[in-house]
Amino acid sequence: MSFWRQALEIARVDLTVEQRVGSTLRITLPFAVVALIVFPLALGLQLGVISAIGVGVFWALGILYGMQVALRQSATDGRERRDLHALLGVDPAARFTGRVISGGVLMVGFLLVLLGAMTVLFDPLLPEGAWPVLLLSTLLVAIGLTELATLAGEVTSGLSNRSVLASLIVAPLALPLIIGASQSVGALERDTSILPWILLLIASDLALAVAGVGLAQPLEEATR
Amino acid sequence: MEPVAHFDKAGVSLGGRPVLRGLDLIVAPREIVGISGPNGSGKTTLIRTAATLTTPDRGSVTILGKDTRGRDLGATRRSIGMIGHSPGLIGELTLGENLDHVARLAGIERARVGRALDVVGLGEVAGRRAEASSFGMRRRVEIARLLLTKPRLLLLDEAASGLDEAARQLIDALVESVCAREGACIVVSHDRAHLDGLCTRVTSLAGGSLEGSSA
Amino acid sequence: MTRVRVLMSLAAVAVGIGLWFALTAPPDALQGEYARLLGIHPPSMWVAFLAFGVTALGSIMWLIKKTDRWDRLASSSVEVGVIFTAIGLFTGMVWGQAVWGTPWDWQDPRLMSTLVMFFVYLGYIALRNAIDDPTVRARRSAILGAIAVVQVPLVYFSVNLFRTLHQTQSIRPDGSTMPDEMLLAMAVNMVAFTILYIALVVARIEVAKVEAENAREEAVAGEAVRPPRLSEVEDV
Repeated sequence: MSFWRQALEIARVDLTVEQRVGSTLRITLPFAVVALIVFPLALGLQLGVISAIGVGVFWALGILYGMQVALRQSATDGRERRDLHALLGVDPAARFTGRVISGGVLMVGFLLVLLGAMTVLFDPLLPEGAWPVLLLSTLLVAIGLTELATLAGEVTSGLSNRSVLASLIVAPLALPLIIGASQSVGALERDTSILPWILLLIASDLALAVAGVGLAQPLEEATR
Repeated sequence: MEPVAHFDKAGVSLGGRPVLRGLDLIVAPREIVGISGPNGSGKTTLIRTAATLTTPDRGSVTILGKDTRGRDLGATRRSIGMIGHSPGLIGELTLGENLDHVARLAGIERARVGRALDVVGLGEVAGRRAEASSFGMRRRVEIARLLLTKPRLLLLDEAASGLDEAARQLIDALVESVCAREGACIVVSHDRAHLDGLCTRVTSLAGGSLEGSSA
Repeated sequence: MTRVRVLMSLAAVAVGIGLWFALTAPPDALQGEYARLLGIHPPSMWVAFLAFGVTALGSIMWLIKKTDRWDRLASSSVEVGVIFTAIGLFTGMVWGQAVWGTPWDWQDPRLMSTLVMFFVYLGYIALRNAIDDPTVRARRSAILGAIAVVQVPLVYFSVNLFRTLHQTQSIRPDGSTMPDEMLLAMAVNMVAFTILYIALVVARIEVAKVEAENAREEAVAGEAVRPPRLSEVEDV
């Protein structure tokens, strides 16, 4: 079977399982929206401040809770499943790619809903032309964060404190994504070019894709 | 004729500790080799090494003519079938969807999935979720998978454990079908009587090596 | 072990000399006595970057060669690197507070990269501690080391890009107002700390070798399982 067919099949099954388990929709997303509510309360409901920090809060929570979307339990393979994939001749790189596709779809959906919730709750101050930039950054962050968290999830697979350890690995390495995303809108406010920030996001996504595909084989061996 | 599996003074360590030590084993086509042994003797490690899922750190293991320490084991692995301790099904999918997923990944004609489920007796419960199915039913899905993939080397690790008589007979039929195609089987079990009845040769594992075999 | 003793003795002498230079150099006109941190902070940060570079090299070489020595080098370098990173970050904050009036500069790409690396390699150590099997441990930590190699330069670049938007501090701790004696003290301590790093890594590698040897000498796993004493079942 071809690489892309295997990747798409893995992604299809992942999404089917998530549709039935629903941990992203029923648990992670509501929890992230609750976290959005915590900020205005913690800031003493100062409306001016809340509007100003809205987009920043979205990125912070998007990264922190988004990690949990990619690290969800339903995307974890037990030893028997990994063995089965190996014996069926599933390309480890196709497995990684499939995971990123399914995780990416969920991540985009998650971030878009969170963005909508932030817009309603925070009424953010956005410069002209911000929405296309915000949506593009969201897409690029979704891809990069999914790649990073998928890698971290694989590296910590089978360990008892997997989700915490994987989050510890992902958070610092997600810095280029946070900076690229936040500054892409900031550039509009300063009336400067958004290109460097978008290119930073694209570079990060590409670097992680190369790392993921290149390290797929040793990762598969490491998790058997 | 080239052996299906050849362990040549193979040594395997796990967790830094030796589990298999200087193990010699040749499995010819049509042979059904039974392996018994006490808990912790390395039976599962032997099965996983034969499946190319564990690489020996001493000696060599050749499966279907391919040294397992090499790269590009994809084609060899697709000719291996394994039933391990627990069925590797996705709980949230139905029994039929699990088998369909395997068929898609392996590039097997999906029309054969329904037939395989019928043969193993699961035709009418294919729509039941795996997590809601009994161990025996999930085991039968694994057997159906092997009917689809038609391996040349079949590895069974306590496969009959916890199964009813009908399912046990199904496993025996699977073993016979592999041998009929010039394949071979390695069967690990605590049930010595079962091994003596099924296998062409039975040996036991102790101290990391195989003891004298009985035919 | 003789090699370790020699290196440690050399390191002790070198650090002693470096300390002497740092303490006897005249204080800086602007920073006063705080300038003596030149003898600790930059050398610690240099060793941190060196250590993590060596870890990256060891990780990649392990993935290629799959020999134990590269894993021992990578993991030993991380442990030493984390210590020097903590020293560098702490002394940097003390210095920053004294000279800039703030312990942290969000716009400094080196600081941010160092902080990120600190947490990444804390995660690396946590990952290794969570895995018993030495081969699995070596492989997974090598993969993490390789991922960090890909991402950390991007961290540096992104913070640097961020910094171009804002004016940097006009007075920098390593600015040219330093007397030559102080710069010499910094240079001597760079060498001294490097020798100390090498000594500590070599010592840690020796310990790792002994740990690996002890594991290999254990009996075959199954031999520890004894047949049950059936006749004594009722006596329990």
